[in-house]
Parts: sequence; structure tokens; C-alpha cells
Amino acid sequence: MNRRLAPRLQGLASYAFLLVLLLVVVFPFYWMTVTALKSEVQMRSLASMFWPDPVVWDNFRHLLAQTDFVAWFKNSVLVAVSSTLVATAIGTIGAYSLARLRFLGRAFMSSAVLITYLVPPSILFIPLYAQIRNLGLADSLAGLIAAYPSFTVPFVTWLLMGYFESIPEELEEAAMIDGATRFGAFARVVLPLAAPGVLAAGLYAFTQAWNEFLYALVFITDVKLRTLPVGLSSFITGDVYGWGFLMAGAVLTTLPVIAAYIYLQKYMVEGLTAGSVKG
Amino acid sequence: MATPAARLPASAALRRAGTRVGLERVLGPDFRLGFLFVAPTVLLVLALVAYPFGYAIYLSLTRKYVGVPPVFVGLDNYVKLTWDGFFQRAVVNSFIFTFGSVSVKLLLGMLMALVLTSKIRFRSFWTGVLLIPWVAPTVVSALNFLWIYDYSLGVLNYLLVRVFGLLPQGVGWLSEPGTAMASVIAVNIWRGFPFFGISLLAGMKAIPAELYEAAAVDGAGPVQRFWRVTLPGVKNILVIVVLLSTIWTFNDFQIVYILTKGGPGGATQVLPVLTYEIAFGAQRLGEAIAVALYMLPPLAVVIIVLARYMRRGQAK
Repeated sequence: MNRRLAPRLQGLASYAFLLVLLLVVVFPFYWMTVTALKSEVQMRSLASMFWPDPVVWDNFRHLLAQTDFVAWFKNSVLVAVSSTLVATAIGTIGAYSLARLRFLGRAFMSSAVLITYLVPPSILFIPLYAQIRNLGLADSLAGLIAAYPSFTVPFVTWLLMGYFESIPEELEEAAMIDGATRFGAFARVVLPLAAPGVLAAGLYAFTQAWNEFLYALVFITDVKLRTLPVGLSSFITGDVYGWGFLMAGAVLTTLPVIAAYIYLQKYMVEGLTAGSVKG
Repeated sequence: MATPAARLPASAALRRAGTRVGLERVLGPDFRLGFLFVAPTVLLVLALVAYPFGYAIYLSLTRKYVGVPPVFVGLDNYVKLTWDGFFQRAVVNSFIFTFGSVSVKLLLGMLMALVLTSKIRFRSFWTGVLLIPWVAPTVVSALNFLWIYDYSLGVLNYLLVRVFGLLPQGVGWLSEPGTAMASVIAVNIWRGFPFFGISLLAGMKAIPAELYEAAAVDGAGPVQRFWRVTLPGVKNILVIVVLLSTIWTFNDFQIVYILTKGGPGGATQVLPVLTYEIAFGAQRLGEAIAVALYMLPPLAVVIIVLARYMRRGQAK
């Protein structure tokens, strides 16, 4: 009796635990969406707390028409996309080189890349700001595009080193015996096989750039040049918070990342577990 | 019959091949493509991390205001900080924030991984949903919680007071010194535990089933199997994830900055936010960097230990 009951209880406890976690994880996003769709009157009256009644789109209208949200969105897209392309291109060849090719200083450089990935931005933001300003890139999106590879490149390199190491070396050797050069073997054999990993690394680089806050806060002073994270959080500096349109902005900021994640979840989960923390 | 003249080109070619072999012996067989491919990464790392890092150390030894050249003052900034009450408080807060957050993240992540490795339906659904806080923009999450914690209109007080009746009246979660730190830590936990869960899950999946079978044959119960098989099996990943998260949490800026800016009255002031405020509020750059670098020795130890573990993990 006890033998049959114990696994069942355990199963029940497992589902209960997952359900509680699920609620805790999902609720803030649900709450954000509900708030974005409520009217100011409804929000202040605490009526129908968990459902917008009626559903209104005023917050989105206000956000798009009367704030700089659209400009911030464009800035974020520009900065995140360009720094992701740079980071993925540089990181991919760098990772291949460090994972596969044999040359002097490889071990040292691998450790160096890893260590730079671990140096926190809270140490780097002041000297980086000085550097960006000396280059005349302060208060420009170019400054952010130049600075973001400081964390995306080491990350992509690190993630893909693990990925390249998991691809059997024999495949390249076979290609080279058939007359391919080392570069040819990389471009035609290894790269196609590593495509899912490159995609995952690129996606992570994109989310990191999309979410970056500290550099964007420090380097940019012009309101029109803000990126989404800094722009959104600037809504809370006034006395009137305007939670409705703030949450509408939060919804639109989250959507691209979550959409990419839902669509490409398999790659992202696998990419993360295959590379960075393989034991 | 070969004349010396006919033999010459051959020997020159041989000599050339000889030097090539020599170069390759010194620099490694793939050095050309290797250097070419790694050069952009190395240049970037030098320009964007190594140089600023060195410059940071130099600046921390100066008195430097925005727009004025630095004046070298030796270890003055560090000495002054040592006796500064605000700084001391921020150090203590940073440790509380980091320790409180990482320990709960580890516990939750471990439970999540254990549950997800057991017989469970729709595993990929659960995994996918539970990872969302980690990929969602941190700013959005912080703003969501700022709104949830709101004193008069926030949903947390609404739930606790009106729906469940657990409290007679609402709490100013972020504005009262007694609850501010715990509230801020909770947000960091919310965002960070999925990373622990997913990483530990990957580690547990890699443990061979035979080990569990053997342990079961030896009469080990579930608790013993956890301590004897699961935990040793994920030890490497566990160390990596804990150290990685310790570094990230210790340097977390966004969550604290958005939720409390270090308040109320310094109750949640942590080192990254203090660095920012001294740098861009008070415009004292040298002192600000000294705040950021004060914890460098322990941080460097953590980073080096972690780098070793991660290299070892990857080499496998």
C-alpha cells in the first residue's frame, strides 16, 4: 500500500511544485498585459482587478503618439541587430580558431576570452565611457554599437567553443584528405553543422544587447537616442508614473524577445546547455 | 647525371620547406588561419576590456572629476573608502543581496531540475515556460515588480489584504527599510533561478542510468541516491553555476537601480549602484572606480577558480 502510494504522492507534489513555479513566473507578464489594457479609471478604482473591463487601447495609443517610444524601439533594433551581427561573425571564427586550430598561445587566449566574459560591466562602464567620449562617440548609437561587443563577443566565442569541440574532428580531416583546405573544411563542413549553435549564440547576443541597461544609461544623454530599457525606465522618474502606458511599453519591449524565444526555444535551450556550462 | 646547377632549385625548395616547418613548429601547424581567425576577438578584447580595465585601475589611484585631468593620489581613495560609513553599508548590503539571492536560486533551481528529471509529462513545455524570466528583458521584469509592489494600487497588497486577508493593511514593500532588501532580492531570485534549473537539469541528464540502478540494487533510498549519485554527478556544473551567479548577482545594477536606487535611506544600497551615483551624481570618477574595484581581489579569485572549472568542463 505504502509502496504504491509514495510514488503517486511524489508525482502529485512534483506537479504542484511546477504549477506554483509556473504561476509565479507567468503572473508578472499577465499582470503587465492586463494593466496595459485597462483604462486609467478602472486602474484607480481597483475594480475588476484581474481582467480589463472594458479592454481599451488608449495606453498603446498614448505610448506611440505622445512619447518617444517609437524612436527608442528603432534605436534598440539598430543597436541590437548591428552589434549581434558583429559579435556573431567575430565570435564564430574566433571560437573555431580557439577550439580546433593548433597554434601558439591558444590555451592562453581561450582563458583570456573566458576571463573577459566574467569581468563585470560595473567595473568597465566608467573607463569605457571615457574611451567612447575620446573617440567622439559619446551620446551616439555608434558608441553603443562599439561598446556592446565587449560582452557579446566573449560570450559568443565561449558558447561556440564548446559547440565546435562537440563536432567530430574526423569530418574535417576527411574533407581535407579529399583536397579541401583548412578554410574550405571550416566553411563547407563545420559551419553548416554548427549552424544551430551559431543561431543560438546569435540569439543570446541579441537578447543581451536588447536588454542592456547600464552602458545605454551612461553613454546616452539625448532623450531621442535612448534605447528601450533606458527609455522605459525614464517613465518612472516623474511623479505621475502612468502605469498604463508604461506597461504598454513593457509589453512591446518584451514581445520581440519572447516571440524569438518561443519560435526558437529548442535551439536556445540546447545551445545554452551544450556550450557554456557543459560539465 | 645531375649537375650542381640542376640540383640547386631542389635544395632551395627543400630549404624553404625547412623554414616553413620551422615556423610551424614554433607557432603551431595551423598558425596562419588560427591567428587570422582569432585576431578580431583578441583586438576587441584588448580595446574594450583589457585597456579600459587597466585605465580603471589607474583612475582609481587618482582624484578625477568629469572634464578635469586626473591627479595621482596613490591609494587615497581606497583608504578613505575603508572608513566611509556609506561604503561600509554598501559592502554589507552587497553581501546580503548576493548570498540571500544565490542560496535561494540554488535551492529553487535544484528542486526544479530534480522535478524535471523525474517522470513528468510535457517536460519541454515546463522547461520552456520556466526559462522565460531569464530571457525576458530585465528592465521589464524590474518595472513589472515595481508595479506589483506599489503601495496603493499594487496587486501584491491587493492580494494579501483584500483577497486572502492575510494582512490588515498594505505594506510599502520597497519604501520600508524592513522589507526593501527582501523585496529586491526576491526579484533577483525570480529572474535568476531558471538558469540554475536548466543548467542542473542538463547535468542530471548526463548521469548514466546504471549508476542509479546500481544504487537501487544496493538498497539506497531516494535521499541517499540524491546525495551519493545526483550531487556528485552535477558537482562541476553546480560549482560553475554558483560562482557565475555570484559574480552576476554581486554586480547586478538594473534591478536595484530601478526598484529602489539604493533606498530607502541606503537600506538596499549595493556597490554597483553606489559606483554609479558617485560617478554620475557626484561626478567623482576616481572615487567611483575605487568603489567598483575595492572588491576586485575576492572577485579575481572567484573568476580564476571559475575559469578553471569552465575550461575543464569544456575540455571534456
